[in-house]
Amino acid sequence: MGAISLQTIGLLIDIFAAAILVTAFLIVSSRSLVFYIRLFALQSFLLGVVAFLVVLGYGETHILIAAFLTIALKAIAIPMVLTRVIERIQVRKEIDFSVNIAASLLLCGGMVVLSESVAQSILSGQQTDSSAVSRVLSVSIAMMLIGLFIMMTRKKALTQIVGLLTMENGVFLSGLSITYGMPLIVEVGIFFDILIAVLILGVFVFRINKTFETISIDSLRSLRH
Amino acid sequence: MHDWTYLQLPVFLFMATGFAAGALLPVILTGLRRRDVMSRDVFERVVKNFGFIAAFVSSLAGCILALSILLYGEPLHVDLLYTRHFGMMSIHADRLSALFLGTISLLAAAVSVYSLGYATEFLGRRNLGLLVFLYNAFLLSMVSVVVAGHTVLFVFVWEAMSLTTYFLINYDHEDPASRRAAFLYVVMTHIGTALLVVMFMLLYSFTGAFGFESLKSAGPRIPAFERSLIFLCAAIGFGVKAGIIPFHIWLPEAHPAAPSNISALMSGVMIKTGIYGMVRVFFDFLGPDIPQWWGVLILVLAVASSVLGVLYALMEHDLKRLLAFHSIENIGIILMGVGAALLFSSLGNNALAALALIAGLYHVLNHAMFKGLLFLGAGSVLHGTHSRNIEELGGLIEKMPWTSFFFLIGAVAISGLPPLNGFVSEWLTFQALLLGFHISDLVVKIAVPLTVALLALTGALAAACFVKAFGITFLGLPRSDRAMHARESSPTMIAAMASLAIACAVFGLAPGLVVSVLDPIASSLLGTNLSGQVSLNGGMLLVPDSTSTSISPPVLTGLLMAIIAVPLVGAFLLGGRLRTRAAMTWACGLPKIEPRMQYSATGFSKPIRMIFSNIYRATHEIEISEETSPYFRASITYELKTESVFLKHIYEPAYNIIVTSARMFRRIQTGHLQSYLAYIFITLVLLLLFAR
Repeated sequence: MGAISLQTIGLLIDIFAAAILVTAFLIVSSRSLVFYIRLFALQSFLLGVVAFLVVLGYGETHILIAAFLTIALKAIAIPMVLTRVIERIQVRKEIDFSVNIAASLLLCGGMVVLSESVAQSILSGQQTDSSAVSRVLSVSIAMMLIGLFIMMTRKKALTQIVGLLTMENGVFLSGLSITYGMPLIVEVGIFFDILIAVLILGVFVFRINKTFETISIDSLRSLRH
Repeated sequence: MHDWTYLQLPVFLFMATGFAAGALLPVILTGLRRRDVMSRDVFERVVKNFGFIAAFVSSLAGCILALSILLYGEPLHVDLLYTRHFGMMSIHADRLSALFLGTISLLAAAVSVYSLGYATEFLGRRNLGLLVFLYNAFLLSMVSVVVAGHTVLFVFVWEAMSLTTYFLINYDHEDPASRRAAFLYVVMTHIGTALLVVMFMLLYSFTGAFGFESLKSAGPRIPAFERSLIFLCAAIGFGVKAGIIPFHIWLPEAHPAAPSNISALMSGVMIKTGIYGMVRVFFDFLGPDIPQWWGVLILVLAVASSVLGVLYALMEHDLKRLLAFHSIENIGIILMGVGAALLFSSLGNNALAALALIAGLYHVLNHAMFKGLLFLGAGSVLHGTHSRNIEELGGLIEKMPWTSFFFLIGAVAISGLPPLNGFVSEWLTFQALLLGFHISDLVVKIAVPLTVALLALTGALAAACFVKAFGITFLGLPRSDRAMHARESSPTMIAAMASLAIACAVFGLAPGLVVSVLDPIASSLLGTNLSGQVSLNGGMLLVPDSTSTSISPPVLTGLLMAIIAVPLVGAFLLGGRLRTRAAMTWACGLPKIEPRMQYSATGFSKPIRMIFSNIYRATHEIEISEETSPYFRASITYELKTESVFLKHIYEPAYNIIVTSARMFRRIQTGHLQSYLAYIFITLVLLLLFAR
């Protein structure tokens, strides 16, 4: 290995994973759509950094491409697309909450506890050499839950997209923590999937806005019958 | 003697290709017609004639194949294709298959000839190409069901048969009643198929085999509980197709809805595939040593089917519905043989079991012949009068003498009167049951006399029902313009009915011959040969073993005729010449008789309705509208309804439960995206908590 020891890298991974979790909490606590997207970009960037650290620490070189792709797509391209959508539809605030922000934060805290205990029980079966890995797993599970929670409690279509992307970041992180990244072909597939999904969802949001004069997904109820 | 068995494979291929060609002909010609190569008229005539002739020729090939297997005993084995997961899918036709193949082919040959005339009615009015396609596909799938030698192949062709039947019932799709009947059929038959799939998977999980040959005598390898589970799945799964009570509800709706030639095939042979499946699974796969309650259960179902079937038939005034209920009755009689065979076999008395099974299988053949004949007769009546309601008919014997004659033959046969075939197999069933009386077992002591008594009741009620059906339809005066202007059917239709009537007579007059062909089937399934235990005296007399005495059918026929003849001859000799006087029949001295004064079908069946009022739960409404004075009534309407116990107490509650629970589930379908996400979220969290 290079100049940095494995222990230092573990510590760094810990710190960055915690930072990722903080961004997820910030998303839950914010109201501005633009802020959501910037937070997501930051989160993806941190994720890319974690991937780099994994490459450095454990020598899994194939992650390198995934790390680059993470930063290029999720930290730069997708936020740009979404920002443009926001500019086009002129909606800046999320105001419809099913659960208010304080309660949301409390519940998300509960989810972190839950995912910590789930991660412990998953990892207790096997010999784990690195404590960083286990903590990253719990963070990734927490992010998936928080992403789903965002989708569940927010009503603007754009927030739904951010929730979905947060979940996806959680999936990527869990892949990173358990197996040091999934095979490259799978990662590339997921990236492609996400990119297309965001493009399509962006178009949808635009269309929904044009048709219903709002991007609140409540209006989709009228499609029921 | 030459061994002709090497010709079996070519004959089989000829049969299969013939049906396939008959099915494909309209498909290809439709393509040509789209390009305006031929007019609709030419298209329909070509399709009709060549399609039904192809079916006829293929059916004859099927008859020949079945006969050769039955006589030589060499099974036909064809490997179709090899699949990685299911092994070699093959056709395997042994004697049991051959009996059903022969029955199907024999009836199909007659019905194909009949269809040549019957389908002329559809020319220019209906989609004949569709009918010919479905007809041939139906026959192909039906013969495939009985010769399939692999569970996956069996389920596949079984489903093909169900689906072609569904479309045939739905042939008259403008009529909402047909659509409803077809829907009911497809729901019921899929419930059955689901159970069959479960059954075959259970069989596979304990034997590891898909091929019918490897499943032979697999019973002892399966634990007792699972074996009974397989038995129940087979009994219900095949029972739905066979139309046994209480799984019969589709049958009286579906048979009248289909075109009459199809009804003849459905009632005559299609429901028999259910019997084939039962015999195959009960005796071939699950035997030997079977629990006693299996036989008792089948006997109970059989008795319920036969008695209730004929009772419901008595209340019907729709000729085809009436015949449909008689199919239920006759399936019951067949199952009495099968059930008795199971019961006797469980007690180790295989000789008696063989006799009972032979009786059941014989009735399969016989019922196909006379029920096919009756449905063709009903089709001719429908063809000639455009009415199925017997209250509108009457006096058809004048207009349609041939149809009347052959219908009468069928009616005599189904009523179990000698010397026709219905009598022989019912008599064999009686004999098997009565001989079982000597077995000292409490269950048998109770079950056998009850079954015998109820079989006797069934026979009597069936006779009463056909006195009604024949008398009201063909005798008396026409009750409507439709009956007045009836016309006789075309020669092909009459020829088809004649051939079936001849078959009824032949199978009735040569029971020894048929029994000697059926004997090896029973012995291959039960391991005992009947001929060692019961002597087939001269091929005509059936004399059972020395412990009991019994009277053979021909002797009984002679006795019965003597009983009728002696007083007649005596009266003639003693009383001398009688004076003859020409007068209207049953005029009771009235100067003029109107058709409306005649005995109606409702009136005829009234005594039976009163006796069995607990079963029928009939309600009637009389509505009298009066003008000015009660003595001058403008109109009187009388409506009579009988209630189906099964529909009201089994199917309707089940339906209501399903609909109510579906409504409850609908409440969670809010259409709110967030709620769906919440469901996923809650499920995920709960699973994480549980999996911890």
